[in-house]
Amino acid sequence: MTGLSNMTERKNLWPWLLLTPLAVFLVVFFVVPLIDVAVMSFTEPRLTFANYERALTGTLYQKVFINTFLTAGFVTLCCLLVGYPLAYLMSVSSQRTAMLILLLVTMSFWTSFLVRTYAWMVLLGTNGPLVWLFQAVGITNPPQLLFTRFSSTLAMVHILAPYMIMNIYSVMRKIDPVLVRSAESLGARGGSLLRHVYLPLTAPGIANGCVLVFVICLGFYVTPVLLGSPREQMIAGLIGTQLDEFLAFGMGSALAMVLLVFTMVILTIYHRHFGLDKLWG
Amino acid sequence: MRDIISRQNTILRPTRRGFLTGAAALAAAPLATPFVARAQETALSINTWGGEWEEAARANLFDPFTAETGIKIQTVSPVSFAKLAQQVNTGTYEFDVTTLGAAELVRANQNGLLEDLEESYPGGLYNNGMGSHAFATLMGWRKDKFGDEPKSWADFWDVERFPGKRSLQRYAARVIPIALLADGVAPKDLYPLDVERAFKSLDRIKEHVVVWWTAGAQSSQLLRDGEVDMIGIWNTRFFNAQDGGSPVAMTWNQAILDKAYWVVAKDTPNVENAKKFVAFATSAAPLAGFAKAQQDGPLNPASLALIPPDQAERMPTNARYAEQVVAQDLENFGIDPAELTERFEEWVLS
Repeated sequence: MTGLSNMTERKNLWPWLLLTPLAVFLVVFFVVPLIDVAVMSFTEPRLTFANYERALTGTLYQKVFINTFLTAGFVTLCCLLVGYPLAYLMSVSSQRTAMLILLLVTMSFWTSFLVRTYAWMVLLGTNGPLVWLFQAVGITNPPQLLFTRFSSTLAMVHILAPYMIMNIYSVMRKIDPVLVRSAESLGARGGSLLRHVYLPLTAPGIANGCVLVFVICLGFYVTPVLLGSPREQMIAGLIGTQLDEFLAFGMGSALAMVLLVFTMVILTIYHRHFGLDKLWG
Repeated sequence: MRDIISRQNTILRPTRRGFLTGAAALAAAPLATPFVARAQETALSINTWGGEWEEAARANLFDPFTAETGIKIQTVSPVSFAKLAQQVNTGTYEFDVTTLGAAELVRANQNGLLEDLEESYPGGLYNNGMGSHAFATLMGWRKDKFGDEPKSWADFWDVERFPGKRSLQRYAARVIPIALLADGVAPKDLYPLDVERAFKSLDRIKEHVVVWWTAGAQSSQLLRDGEVDMIGIWNTRFFNAQDGGSPVAMTWNQAILDKAYWVVAKDTPNVENAKKFVAFATSAAPLAGFAKAQQDGPLNPASLALIPPDQAERMPTNARYAEQVVAQDLENFGIDPAELTERFEEWVLS
């Protein structure tokens, strides 16, 4: 009896043991620095709530926070609209075609961030091919494409769409085609088939992709500043300025904490409505 | 916008996730320097802007210094003001020497981040920074659009005579003086800055500034591609575009001069070597070589004397331009740069 219970105990201990290196790594390089950031937000330059007061009431910071979350939300939505059909196409294609599409999609990961950004400048620029195309079809006064919300959104969707596509594709691939066929045989067509059968089945992929894209996008700031309109400032940019230009570690930390808390709140609401537990399938 | 001093190369720092900078500097410093032989007599670690800037520094400053003293030099890039502060606060040093602009220099010295330095040439020491070189934010434009017509920042603001797209650096401390000059303030009356008047002046140009550039390489590209017709741009970046064959022109008139300084991190174990390096890097011949490679103006007059006249043409510190250029006056700035930046950013977004 004792031997048996010992064995079960040891079995239960194993997964935790395997997690130890990761846990130690996270505590040392993530939790501890994060606590340090939290402490600094209250203690730099002295014990005070002033950093939070400024972060929450200053018009500059309010505007930039709102812009950051709206941008991240909009980019996530665009990634979903672009990624879902593409992932579906991959899941119904032959293995070869699917791999080819995946290759094309992930190719953007192989080029450096800067090269991609400058490539967009060339493509969308005043003397770029797109404007040339406009003129070729007779539009003599083409719209300004570069340095607008359009160009920055396009570039961010291009960078982030692979995260969405790969998450949704991995779920779609595992869906048993029999389920769809049986739904059809029971009379589900088009919209109702999508709404009642296919979407719920792919929900884990959507949830995962959206969270990932949204959270990564919150930290962006170079792309909007380089490609977007002058009015597009992301909070990460302001935090960088506080730290690197003014050595205002307290203010920078307070902004970071506000960003963290807002993100948690949004993810909690998201969880209430859609259930983040779908992440695990 | 936090592209501060002379980062005259591709510095976009895309990987920096703002909120981790402080913490990461703390955590990563010991990890990132496995090769730096700490506290060794024969080693020195220098913070640089990387790229072409570092190549110029290596050829003209680092290698000759090593040849003369036997002290090996390791580099870390890009320049990080935040890291300098965290090094001193934590006592963990990734670099011993770095380069700062005047605004950062004053703040760093006030915060006790800098070692006391000795003057290596007369008049070169300022707030514990040894003056290295100066660079200019000057007015450049497309020649195919405006010929040789534009003369001053007032013309930059004159969108009726010179219709077209504009760009300026997203950096308040340089844009505000330009806005005042454009509004007719005489260079001698520029400081302390009349901030209210500057923002009124900026309101007039705002819709014509299609992009506020944040990186040197970006500014060059904007002018080269004809993405903008007129730009406030650093001298080195302007000449890059011109040497690339683009039809561009510039004026030294009302160019804003910023200075770059070498500093030594407070209490670094390598303090003696670091001081030796700063003295070497600001001495006549090495600085002249560096300035020639970078096309920036050396601040040591003895270096300027070593530069052939044709090359000195491009240097903002050339005595011939002294009447035209406007030097930044951080002592008499009129407003806290941090407060100014916050107001400026708010204005850009509004």
